[in-house]
Amino acid sequence: MGFSLTGTHIIYFIASVIIAGAVSGVFYAVVGNVTNSFSERGDRVQDQLDIEFKIINDPGNIPTKGNDYLFYLKNIGRVEIPTSNETFYIFIDGEIVVTANYNFSDSSIQPEELTTLYVDNSEISTGNLILRVVGPYDIEDEFVFTIP
Amino acid sequence: MGFSLSAAAAIIGVSILLAIEMIVSTTVPTFTEVHDSYDKLRDRSIEQIQTDINITNVETYVNGSNYDHNITVENTGSVSLVTGKFDILINGTSYNFECSKAYLYPESEAYFNVTNLAGSESKKLKIVTNNGISDYYEYTIP
Repeated sequence: MGFSLTGTHIIYFIASVIIAGAVSGVFYAVVGNVTNSFSERGDRVQDQLDIEFKIINDPGNIPTKGNDYLFYLKNIGRVEIPTSNETFYIFIDGEIVVTANYNFSDSSIQPEELTTLYVDNSEISTGNLILRVVGPYDIEDEFVFTIP
Repeated sequence: MGFSLSAAAAIIGVSILLAIEMIVSTTVPTFTEVHDSYDKLRDRSIEQIQTDINITNVETYVNGSNYDHNITVENTGSVSLVTGKFDILINGTSYNFECSKAYLYPESEAYFNVTNLAGSESKKLKIVTNNGISDYYEYTIP
């Protein structure tokens, strides 16, 4: 009788430790996931605040080279911006430019530096046009220009 | 029964403490970094508001069949500017240049030289500062 009482206590003890361990494990894992997501979200917010660029062309004089129009993008933010047609999307008058029809002179722009965006002339007609350049984290700049 | 409860409470308590440590060690640096980025964004915005330049004169000199352009720029804002990070567009095209000063201080002038430029027609000049503020100037090569 005495042994069975002790055995019952031992079983209670082991069961409570197992349940507490399981609850703790789940709790710890959930908190870990939430804090990781929070940290990643913080990194994204930080990047959104640090990335800033500007199209600095003369709106009445868009230079050309071969079959391309040249647009100058200046990094006026705080961090290096990767420039490729995977990180940037280009819109002319609201129409997206297919990735094959634009490219950059550099793979990235350092702060306060300039890179050249080449846009195929098949995408650009004459008249007043709006170029919208959307970069990483949806940071964007709009530029109104005229092709005579 | 009491001992089992104490053991379970201890395990859960330790787990809560570890979780709090994890939350604090993650959130504090994140908040600090985001706050730092906000500060820098605010600083950049203030600098842009306080930045202004004025192209006061352009002189051209014959260089063979081309022209050298000597551009005078005055800092009319209240922020010192890094001239090496300026950009010069003439008739829309970006050109390399040399500058007489590394920094353009407020109320000071600097001379930018663009050499060996073809064409003698009228020119439209745009100068962009390191933080994206610009000024235009039109002139004709006689």
